[in-house]
Amino acid sequence: MTEILVRPPLLGRKPTGRLNADVTRLLPKPLLVTIVVILLLAVLVPLLYIVLASVNSDVSVASGAFFPTELHLDNYLKVWTTVDLRNGLINSVIVSGSVAIICAALAVSSAYVLVRFAFRGRLTVLRTLVGLQSIPGTLMLLPVFVLFASLASALGIQIIGTRWALFITYITFALPFSTWVMVTYLRGLPRELEEAARIDGASSWRILTRIIVPLSWPGIVVSAIFAFLLGWNDVLFASVMTDRTSRTAAVALQVFGATQEGGAIPLYGQMMAASLICALPVVVLYLVFQRYLVGGLTAGGVK
Amino acid sequence: MKARHALGAIAGIAILGLALQGCAGSTTPAPASSSTKIDGTGKTLDVMIGANALYPAEQKQWFQDVSDRFEKQTGAKVNFETFASANDELTKIQTSVLSGQGPDLYNLGSTFTPTAYSTGAFVQLTEADWKKIGGRDKFIPGTLGISGPDAKHEVGIPFASRPFVMAYNKDLLAAAGIDKPATTWDGLTAQAKKLTTGDTYGMALAYADSYDPWKFVWAMSLQAGNPILDGKKARFDDPTTLKAYQTYFSWLTDEKVVDPSAIGWKNAQAVAAFASGKAAFLPMTTSTSMVTLDKSAVAGKYAYALMPTVPPGAKTTPKNGKPATSIISGDNMVVAKYSKNQDLAFALVNMLTSASSQTSYQKLFGDLPTNAAAAKKLEDGNAALAPVIDSAAKSVGTPFSGAWGDTQLALVNVVVQSIPSLSTGSLKVSDLKAKLATAQTAVQAALDKAK
Amino acid sequence: MSTSTPVKAPAVTRASGSPTGSPVGGRPARRPGRSPSERNRPFWMLAPGGILMVIIIIVPLAIAFVISLLDLDQYTLRSWLQAPFIGLQNYLEAVTKSSLLRSIWISVSYAAIASAVTLPIGVAAALATQNAFRGRGLVRSIFLIPYVLPAFVVGTVWRTMLQPGGVVDAGLTGLGIHAGLWLNGPQSYWALIAVQIWSSWPFFYLLVLAGLQSVDQEVHEAAAIDGAGWWTKLRHVIFPYLKGPVSLALIISFLHNINGFTLPFVLFGVPAPEDVNVLPVLTYITSFQSFRFGLSAAMAVASLVLIAIPLFIYLKAVRLDTGEEGKRP
Repeated sequence: MTEILVRPPLLGRKPTGRLNADVTRLLPKPLLVTIVVILLLAVLVPLLYIVLASVNSDVSVASGAFFPTELHLDNYLKVWTTVDLRNGLINSVIVSGSVAIICAALAVSSAYVLVRFAFRGRLTVLRTLVGLQSIPGTLMLLPVFVLFASLASALGIQIIGTRWALFITYITFALPFSTWVMVTYLRGLPRELEEAARIDGASSWRILTRIIVPLSWPGIVVSAIFAFLLGWNDVLFASVMTDRTSRTAAVALQVFGATQEGGAIPLYGQMMAASLICALPVVVLYLVFQRYLVGGLTAGGVK
Repeated sequence: MKARHALGAIAGIAILGLALQGCAGSTTPAPASSSTKIDGTGKTLDVMIGANALYPAEQKQWFQDVSDRFEKQTGAKVNFETFASANDELTKIQTSVLSGQGPDLYNLGSTFTPTAYSTGAFVQLTEADWKKIGGRDKFIPGTLGISGPDAKHEVGIPFASRPFVMAYNKDLLAAAGIDKPATTWDGLTAQAKKLTTGDTYGMALAYADSYDPWKFVWAMSLQAGNPILDGKKARFDDPTTLKAYQTYFSWLTDEKVVDPSAIGWKNAQAVAAFASGKAAFLPMTTSTSMVTLDKSAVAGKYAYALMPTVPPGAKTTPKNGKPATSIISGDNMVVAKYSKNQDLAFALVNMLTSASSQTSYQKLFGDLPTNAAAAKKLEDGNAALAPVIDSAAKSVGTPFSGAWGDTQLALVNVVVQSIPSLSTGSLKVSDLKAKLATAQTAVQAALDKAK
Repeated sequence: MSTSTPVKAPAVTRASGSPTGSPVGGRPARRPGRSPSERNRPFWMLAPGGILMVIIIIVPLAIAFVISLLDLDQYTLRSWLQAPFIGLQNYLEAVTKSSLLRSIWISVSYAAIASAVTLPIGVAAALATQNAFRGRGLVRSIFLIPYVLPAFVVGTVWRTMLQPGGVVDAGLTGLGIHAGLWLNGPQSYWALIAVQIWSSWPFFYLLVLAGLQSVDQEVHEAAAIDGAGWWTKLRHVIFPYLKGPVSLALIISFLHNINGFTLPFVLFGVPAPEDVNVLPVLTYITSFQSFRFGLSAAMAVASLVLIAIPLFIYLKAVRLDTGEEGKRP
């Protein structure tokens, strides 16, 4: 896997023997194995259940069976017509993708100012960024809706029901944490290059785009991914701000799940299949960006 | 750097998507100027309707058909939006009411009509409005029972009827020597007891469902003369309500005629248990369960019957009791006051409640018609549905109060909070009374606020 | 200001290949003029994010506060600005007549327990995958999966598994344990904590993993030369590096647990069993099922204040945010 590539060269095995080879070892081997095995089991058993249920018959899942009595691979085909997943996935990718990018861009520029320049109230801003995480979404739902609705009637543009509503909301909600990630990352960057550039007369904008951004890719990827996940997983806002055409995958899934509650045996198999399909893009995204993800949190170190 | 390219690619796609969305989003319909001849050319009517879990594909097709037909008639398109659950439905209504924008027409669960009415955000139908949808007379009178507080103040137009009945397994009943389902709750309990053998149970019930339980308690209370909300007074502390809860719980704890797992079941799981032939009765179900049952192990072996109408502990309906078989259940359509396309909305309702539309809707989705002519036709040709149609006529509306939402919540909450002690079989009467007292306080407060 | 621990990590970056790495226990000498500049401050760069946050967070928050002072319910919803102003009555009702205080207690204790348990799990996982072994990349990826599954999916899956007669019960019965109900009653509280832990420990893991990467090779070598046992090394050498990431992860996961709505909502449904009637579910029901928008807003604002004050004290105490400025003598 990509891990090998990112292993810092310092940690490379030197030929001098035991001391160096084991010098970074943190845990005795038996303990290490125990931890990895226990955690893998804890993660994989429920996961296996989802996978098995996704190819199981609905009655069998309902009766609490772990292993399928008969194989229903067709769940993976049927689900595309039962749930409007295709449209949902497209919407989710568009909304979460653009949120991730814009949010990371805003985060890096805000963090740059917050880290490199002193001004009154800087600490308050920083603390507020963390503090904003304590605002419950259930409190914000109605006011944000009111706000969009009044903006719409004041400006004559329809926001609710379009992807813009989600886009704006998610960017804003993701921004505090993304900015935090960038702040901690930028703190770890050396200043020499910037200072040299400034002496050469470079503007702040130039320094940001030519020096900071190229040096901070790992951090940017991390803030982008957290922003992406926020948009990808939200149901609360998306369920009231979207219509049939702008519905995200998470809402499509939730709608599907909720409609299963009444009337007949839920389509458990298809529901699990749909869940896995919706989780897949994010897992892939994680795999692709994993080395940046770990590195991105690292460079600054959260100190 | 790979990451940069990947991000760049995502950025490109995303921004393109947003731009496209921008174009699509700017086609808001222009305000309508109403005239006698409805011309909706170029307009779009937004309709909010519950998502159909059983027939998602058919529903999508139906949306398209309706829109096409409507366009032919008026030139306007219909854009359907769906909500997934009752919670979703409420949230959508609230946000729309609050912001004064949203769908033009809503298709609501009947028990939400009082709540919708209390917001004052939906059109109260005048004589002229009724005329636009083909007259009040075209509907089965019973289905109008929850359209408004009285005939002069109605907001809800009946669109579909889904009265509750009881399904029973003919084979199991015959094997136990029972010729027909009981008509009293005590009788049903006795039959269920007789039918419980091995891993087959007398009844399939969903104690953990968010909606099922209150319907039992309400029906039993009403049959004993207590409508739960009596004018401006809540009556949770009434002995009839206590008796109703005790009966509902005793099936699980004392009589043991239900699968012990039912304590955690939602409605769907109860249906599943009945469908697998593991339960003799499935009370509190609708004709929509037909779809599942006809594909299941009990296909051809089950029938519907009216639910008991004689309250627990009685042999006949008491003097002030009402022999209700079901709540008035189904869908009502309401037109938003903020809508600029009200006439179009009425035209659509007229189209959807015509005898032919209703008949084809019944065939597609299993909901009974509210159109009297369509119902008559259906009754003549369908023996299996006869009890369901009969139940529609014997349904009673839940109290028309803005506090009904809270009442329903409180009724279910008593069950939810009792479940832990039910599972250990130790629910004391005093505990139950305390829970009812709490519910009484909460609902009375809501009722006092009601306008 | 800064701790006197000799191993306070300098900000060395791998990514930039910076040559400013300094020996263990050292810290680059502070040169004059290295403090954040006070000239040519490009405040406009803060503007886009700042404006968005003001419009989408601060304004709605203000609206929410106004709503909390109104008797806003289904009868007044249509013209909410005209809803009767009732001052602090909603707050009074929330504290005296609703289950707000109980819900706050449930939420805070559950969030604290879940965060506290995920901490050692995340640390252990990060320590275990720090050193290369065959298949480590795969293990690391698998570890992340619970975190990327949407809360809705996690809730649905666990509800199916935990229901009476479900696979968890079947498994426990096989072991001879009759555990009783998981989705209602006292055990539901622990079920919620368990599921929350299952889905959120990788967040800790990620942050700790990141912290571990900032430990220099020299530190490892110094510890090895001292001949320290693994536990001594962890305790005295490695853990000090993790203070920052762990403090941040604690705050963020605590706040996310407190505000998590989807998981308890999907797991237990509404009305929620008393033992898991967490704050977000209570405010949601009050608002969207009982239509008491004013009361619900008052509940949320009250709890926000209750949580925000200790949070700010904590933030000041852990000095997460001070950065270099905090180290100034």
